[in-house]
Amino acid sequence: MDIFSGLILGFSTATTASNFLYCFLGVLLGTAVGVLPGLGPIATISMLLPFTFGLPVDTALIMLAGIFYGSQYGGSTTAILMNLPGEASSVVTTLDGHEMAKQGKAGRALAAAAIGSFFAGTVGTLFIAISAPLLASFALTFGPAEYFSLIVLGLITSMVLASGSLLTAFGMALLGIILGMIGTDINSGAARYTFGSPNLLDGLDFVVVATGIFGLGDVLANLENERGRVAGVAAVSSLFPTREDWGRMFAPILRGTGLGVLLGVLPGAGVLLASFSAYALEKKVSRRPEEFGKGAIEGVAAPEAANNAAAQTCFIPMLTLGLPGTATMALMIGALVVQGVQPGPEILSQQPALFWGLVVSMWLGNLMLLFLNLPLVGMWAKLISVPYHFLFPVICVFIAIGVYSINNNVFDVYLMALFGVLGYFFKKLGAEPAPLILAMILGPMAEEYLRRTLLISHGDATVFLTSPLSLGTLVVAGLLLLSIVSPRFRRVREEGLQEAD
Amino acid sequence: MNRREFIVLGGAVAALATSRVTLAADWPNKSVVVISAYPPGGTSDIIARLVADLLTAKFGQQFVIENLAGAAGALAGGKLARSAPDGYTILVSGSAPIAANKVVQTNLAYDPEADFTPITIVAESPALLTASAKAPAKTLQELIAYAKANPGKVNIGNPGAGTKGHICAALIGLQTGIELNHIPYKGSPPLLADLLGGHIDFALDAPSNYLPHIKDGKIHGVAVTSAHRIGELPDVQTVAEQGLKDYEQTLWFGAVGPKGMPADIVSAIQKTIKDWIDTPAAKEKLASLGLTAVANTPEEMRSEMAREIESIKPLVTAGLVQPS
Repeated sequence: MDIFSGLILGFSTATTASNFLYCFLGVLLGTAVGVLPGLGPIATISMLLPFTFGLPVDTALIMLAGIFYGSQYGGSTTAILMNLPGEASSVVTTLDGHEMAKQGKAGRALAAAAIGSFFAGTVGTLFIAISAPLLASFALTFGPAEYFSLIVLGLITSMVLASGSLLTAFGMALLGIILGMIGTDINSGAARYTFGSPNLLDGLDFVVVATGIFGLGDVLANLENERGRVAGVAAVSSLFPTREDWGRMFAPILRGTGLGVLLGVLPGAGVLLASFSAYALEKKVSRRPEEFGKGAIEGVAAPEAANNAAAQTCFIPMLTLGLPGTATMALMIGALVVQGVQPGPEILSQQPALFWGLVVSMWLGNLMLLFLNLPLVGMWAKLISVPYHFLFPVICVFIAIGVYSINNNVFDVYLMALFGVLGYFFKKLGAEPAPLILAMILGPMAEEYLRRTLLISHGDATVFLTSPLSLGTLVVAGLLLLSIVSPRFRRVREEGLQEAD
Repeated sequence: MNRREFIVLGGAVAALATSRVTLAADWPNKSVVVISAYPPGGTSDIIARLVADLLTAKFGQQFVIENLAGAAGALAGGKLARSAPDGYTILVSGSAPIAANKVVQTNLAYDPEADFTPITIVAESPALLTASAKAPAKTLQELIAYAKANPGKVNIGNPGAGTKGHICAALIGLQTGIELNHIPYKGSPPLLADLLGGHIDFALDAPSNYLPHIKDGKIHGVAVTSAHRIGELPDVQTVAEQGLKDYEQTLWFGAVGPKGMPADIVSAIQKTIKDWIDTPAAKEKLASLGLTAVANTPEEMRSEMAREIESIKPLVTAGLVQPS
C-alpha cells in the first residue's frame, strides 16, 4: 500500500463519527492532565485502559494517543502562565515562557508554543507515514542480536540525556533493571527476588512504579512550595505573534521539529529529552544567547516543537518493532495486545486501517489542540487556579483508583505509595527517574533477547559484533558514551539539561 | 392443548431454559477475565479470543482477554491458580500451563492437577515442523543427516520450554539419536518472525501461523506430527512417513478455572463451548486454522491432563526436556 492510498484509508478511518469524537475526547483529556501537576499521561492512560476494552481497537488507540500528545500541549500552558510545568517535558518552557508572561507577552508565548507544536505535529505525522512502512519492510532482518543492541542503545541514550551526573543516571538505570528482574523467569518459570510473596510473582507493574514516582512523587514535591506558590495567573493579552516574533521563531521551530522527530524515534530518548536538547541547541546557535531565560521566544517555540514532534514519532519503533521507547509506549502496546493486535512489522499489512487511521487522527488531533489551547486558554488557567488543598486529594484518589484498577489488587496501591516516597527523594537528590522506568521496561526484554541470542549462537557472544546492524547500533551507543567524556559535549549537556532543573 | 397454549408453554419453557443459564448467583454480573497464556496472534491466543467472544455473546457480559505470556504459560497458570474461584477468571491455553509445566518446570508455583478445575478441551491439532528459506534441510531425513554431520549445530525454536512443540522435537531427537538445540520463545508470533527473518533454521509449533507463509513459499513445511497428512498441507509428509516409526503427537487447547470453581458455572461455560463446537461454522473456522474441533467433559479433560503429564515424565527424567 503506497502512502496516498494509505492516507485515504486513514482519513476514512479517522473521520468516522465515533473515531473523531474519541480523538477529541482524548486530546481534551490530554490537555487537562497536561495542565494538572501529578496527573500525567501514564496514570490517565492506565486508568482509562479498562474502558477501551469494549471499543474497537482503532478507536481505543486513537483516544489513548490523543491523551499522550494532548498532554504535551497542556503542559506548556501552565508552564507559561504560572511557572508550573504540568508535564516534565514542559520544564524548559517555564524558563522563557513564564518570563514572557511576566513581561505581558503571555498570549504571544502561548501562541508560539501552540504554533510550534502544531507545525511539529504535522511534520511528525508525515514522518511516521513515510518512515514507518520503510522501517517495517526491513524489520524482519532484525534478529535477537539486533534487538538486544537496540535496547542497549536505548538504555544508554536515556542515561546520557538524563539531567544530573552520568553516574547517577547509570545507577538509576541499574536499579530499574533490578526492579524489572523481579518476578517469574521467562524461560524456566523460576521465581526470582519475590521473597516468597505471591504478589511479586508477576513482577512489578511499571505503571505502578511510574505512577508512584511521577504522580505521587510530583504531588509530594509540590506540597513543599504550596505556601510560597505564586497563586497568580498571568493575564493573557493578544494571542497574535508580532511580525518580529514570526521571524524569530521560524528557524527554531524548524530545528526543534527536526531534533524532536529524530529523538522520538531513538528508543530511550523520548519526549522529555527532545525538549531539553532543543532548548540547549537554540541557546547554542542563537545570536543573542544572553536573552535566554529572560523571555526569548525561541526558548519557547523550539522545545515545544521538539516535544510534540517526539510525541508523534516515538510511535514508530513501538508500532513497527514492538519496541517501547518510553513508558507511555509500553502502555500503548498493552492496549493493543488486549485487543489482539501484536505490534511489530506485520502491523502495517495486517492492520492497515489501524495504522493509517492513527496517523491521520494524530494530525486531526493536533488541529483540534490548536483550537482547544489558544481560544480556550482561560478555561485551562482556571483549572489550575484550583487551590492545591482541593486538587491534590482528588489527584491522589485518581491515581490510587488507576493503580488499583490494573489488577484489582490493594498491594499495588501500597507499592505505588512506596514509590511515591522514593520519587520524592529522587527529586530531592537530583536523580532523574526516566532511566529507571525505561530500564524497568527494557531490562526484561534485553534479558530475553540476550539469552535467545546466546542460545542460538551456542554461547558465542561475538555475534553482537559480526552482525553489521548490531555492530552499528553498539558503535552509536559507544560513541554516545564517549561523547559524554569529552569536555566540550559535557559542557553543552550540563548547560542544556541542568539549568532547567 | 391448542396451538396458542402450545406457544405460551413453549415460551415459558424457553424462558425457564434461558433463565437457568443466568444461574443461582446471577453469574456473570460483571466482566470476566479470560487469561491467554501466549502473545496475541498465536494459535492459543486466537482460540482464547474465539472462546471469549462466544461467551460474551452468550452471557451478555464482556469476557476480557488478558495476555500473560512467558515461561511456557507458567505466568498465566500461576495467575489463574491465585485467582478467586468465583467464575470471573478462567484460562484458555495450549496444554503446557495446564499439564506439562508440572513436570518440566521444577520451580512451578502451582500444581495444575490440584489447583485447576478442568472445563473442556476446545480443539486439537498436530504440530508442524518448518524450516526457514535458508535452512540447511527441507525434509526430516535431510535434517537428521545434517544434524549427524554437524552435532549440536541444529537450532530448533519452540513456543516455550515444555510446550508440545518442544516435546515433539525432543521425541524426534530421542528416536533418531540426533542432538537438537531447543530455543524457547514466548509464543508463535516472535518465533515465526525469527524463522521468516532466517535468524533461526527450524521451528516446531502449532500449524496455523505458518500455513500462509508456507503457501507463499517464504518458509518450508518439513513434517506434521499426526498419523495422517493434514488437509491444509497435502504435500507435507508426516514424521512417521519420513522414517520415524509410530511417531504421532497431538497438541490440544483447553479451558480451565481455578480450584473450587462452582460446578454450575463450569457446566454453563462447558455447554456454551460444546454447543458452538457442534455447529458447522465452528468446525469450519477451526479447520481453517489447521485445528480439529473437540468438546469433551470436565472429567475427560482431567484424565487427558493426567495422561499428558505421565507421558512427559520419562522425557524429563531422561534430561531431554529441560527449561533452558
